[in-house]
Amino acid sequence: MSKRNNGITRRSFVATTAAGATALALPGNVLAQAKDSLVMAWPIDPPTFDPIIRTNPGIQSIYKMIFDQPVTQQPDLKVIPAVVKAWKVSEDGKTIDLEFRDDVLWHDGKKLTAEDFRYTYFERREKGHKSDLASVFRNLTDIKVESPTKCQMILSQAMPTVIQWMTFLANYIVPKHYVEEVGPEKFAEKPIGSGPYKLVSYERNSRIVLEAFDKYWGPKPTIKKITILIMKDPSARVAAIQSGQADWVPEVPIREVERLGKVAGLTAEILPITRVIMLQIRSDRAFADQNVRLAAHHAIDKAALSRALYGGKAVPLSVVATPGTPGFVEGFNFPYDPKKAQELLAKAGFSPSKPLQIGMASFNGVFPGDYDIARAIAQMWKRIGIEAKIDVIEQPKYFELNRGNQLPEATLYSWDNATGDPEMFAGYLLHPKLPFSAWKDEKIGGEIMKLFAVVNYDERIKGYKEVNVKAASEGAVMPLLQSVMTFVYKKGLKTVNYANGWNLPQYWSWS
Amino acid sequence: MSGGVLGVALRRIGVSLPLVFLVSVLVFVVLRLIPADPVAMSVPPNATRAEIEALRAEMGLTLPIHEQFWIWFAKAAGADFGKSIAFAQPVSRLIGQALPATIELVVVAAVFATIIGLAGGLLMYRVAGGRGEAASDLASTLIMSIPEFLWAIFFILLFGVALNILPFTGRLDAGITVGRITGFLLVDTLIQGRFGAFLNALSHLLLPSMSLALGTAPLLMRVLRSSLMEVGNEDYMMMARLRGFSERRVLVHHAFKNAFLPTLNLMGVQFSFLFGGTLLVEVIYSYPGLGSLMVQAVANTDLPVIQGVALVYAVAVLLINLGVDLAALMLNPKLRIAK
Repeated sequence: MSKRNNGITRRSFVATTAAGATALALPGNVLAQAKDSLVMAWPIDPPTFDPIIRTNPGIQSIYKMIFDQPVTQQPDLKVIPAVVKAWKVSEDGKTIDLEFRDDVLWHDGKKLTAEDFRYTYFERREKGHKSDLASVFRNLTDIKVESPTKCQMILSQAMPTVIQWMTFLANYIVPKHYVEEVGPEKFAEKPIGSGPYKLVSYERNSRIVLEAFDKYWGPKPTIKKITILIMKDPSARVAAIQSGQADWVPEVPIREVERLGKVAGLTAEILPITRVIMLQIRSDRAFADQNVRLAAHHAIDKAALSRALYGGKAVPLSVVATPGTPGFVEGFNFPYDPKKAQELLAKAGFSPSKPLQIGMASFNGVFPGDYDIARAIAQMWKRIGIEAKIDVIEQPKYFELNRGNQLPEATLYSWDNATGDPEMFAGYLLHPKLPFSAWKDEKIGGEIMKLFAVVNYDERIKGYKEVNVKAASEGAVMPLLQSVMTFVYKKGLKTVNYANGWNLPQYWSWS
Repeated sequence: MSGGVLGVALRRIGVSLPLVFLVSVLVFVVLRLIPADPVAMSVPPNATRAEIEALRAEMGLTLPIHEQFWIWFAKAAGADFGKSIAFAQPVSRLIGQALPATIELVVVAAVFATIIGLAGGLLMYRVAGGRGEAASDLASTLIMSIPEFLWAIFFILLFGVALNILPFTGRLDAGITVGRITGFLLVDTLIQGRFGAFLNALSHLLLPSMSLALGTAPLLMRVLRSSLMEVGNEDYMMMARLRGFSERRVLVHHAFKNAFLPTLNLMGVQFSFLFGGTLLVEVIYSYPGLGSLMVQAVANTDLPVIQGVALVYAVAVLLINLGVDLAALMLNPKLRIAK
């Protein structure tokens, strides 16, 4: 074929290519977003849009945009009414009366009633729908619906934190009529909720598009359209905010936060949240001796870890609770004291010249700095005479090992507790029968188990404070740091910081 | 397609089927050997021992491994790869959603790799023996020595952040939505007559596909140059020159045609590698294809998804090689005669 047959000359080809390249460069991807829309970069893709299936802390804010929880929390974590406008827990903690708002609509316009609540919390479990919610409420024996706005939950055992749980993981109300109509699988792909935003489109591993629901019962969002870009790679999120392709990005490496905070047009924040980084401890093997456990704890310079890995923003902890939450113990300090650590270790017969060999498990990339913390602690321990061999594990492996009581002496772990309640901190982390606890000794564990049945709030909190001090003093757990969440966003975006790390654009606005 | 080519094609497909079976056995056995319990991901953290064992039985994990394999293989033959543990969705649906994105990416990358590889090869041949030879050698070595993921990061920093002229996340801009027809965005946008969205989708493909292409192109360049040098001294080349044809015509019409076949065979192998390269590149560009799905499945120990995607990768590689073999047969009559 000759060049002239199709009319394309070399010159015209070059010109067309250049024009095409320019056109490709022009689309609006690099332009600023409109004031009623927001582009967020998110590090985790929801595995499902059926919000009761998984207790995954990283996706709760997305669920809260689409669905309602029975009750919710203020930024300071105080529990406040939501779809449930009033509640009453009986003295024995086994019956809970709930009263619902009568103006809550699903995204298809139908009314949310107590029947939907019963379906979500009870009927789905009875139908065999597997969910983490069913597992949490395994003691629920029935929900009696008295009217469209009233029902009573009946439990076989007291659940003192039942109301806190209704603000927590997997606790979202789903529409009975819609799930029954389309089936759970379809619902998990194309859900409708009663939250402030409707799901418009979703492309797995790429993006979620949400649009404000104009009949939402609560405050109407001023940002009408949300696009959530799934960006798992931290450097891609940094590039996205720098290039203007995203308006808001979370989980940015600390060093980048400090750098981006100086860039014109961007705001960077480091916010301590209700997430605890700790070492979970076995009560046997090399750690059976309390002297060894306490020596290991005294040898850890938590302030140095914070400075090196979190820019000094992560608060060193002495108990498994974060400052400002009910179980936190003001004034109690477990000090960094390498000299005392060596003395305690010597009592157990070990020293740098005769080191103790232990195993340590750590994640790598599950929470910021995880593996670096493990390596730093191993170095600190080496100085006093403890040699730790670090094994990197994945989260499913952690549960598998813990269920089989096969975790090593120490496991670096991060624990999110959006409620701030001490039951979801020390309660779950030291309950010897639960798979979140490596500590299987019944002495402290027994006290924890008793607290699971204490309905009186003040008595329960007092009990947890005492257990928290005892657990640290006896080396049942080594609390390390209050973790931080990092954000970078465009100037002009007004966000609301929740102490538990929720990011809810329904309450945000552009100035 | 001539009868000879068709016969060879059928023979190749016949050979490929046992290969697919062997790959599926390998994938299944290897995944069963890794120290990960798929049940651990399927149950809530506070599940009881009885609940775990019940689920293990329900998932068929208590059966002997050969029985597990035959059950899985029989279903996989019908494109039923089971249900994802993490997503609670049929694996075939997840693959069906992600596969078009990856194919689109690989095809565009292959086009770039071909253009750069062939043009570069011709250029390297032209400058061979001259002052440009060392520079072209250095450039091809440099490009070849940088892995795809580093190109990806470099392109994001250069074109996405510093110059800020190209998008580097997903398949479309935040403000654009395109209805799904085939899953191939370039096709769907054209079917719907949305030329602006087509350009936007193409602009989103540029950086990831170039990152992949640069891993493949240098080898094509080098093989083409070597082949051109080999045929450069053949009698027919001398005859062409004696007939007074220009060097360009001799190169393109005589040398290139004969030197292209070894390059074509290499393209088959290299384009298979493009699929493998999507794993990291898709994650870096937040591109929703099979690579991203695989990485997420591995992180979740989602064995049904890992098995399904691995098998799809294997079949894709076999199909690419089959396609290249057929292309070689059609281009080279000598191969048909030999068969």
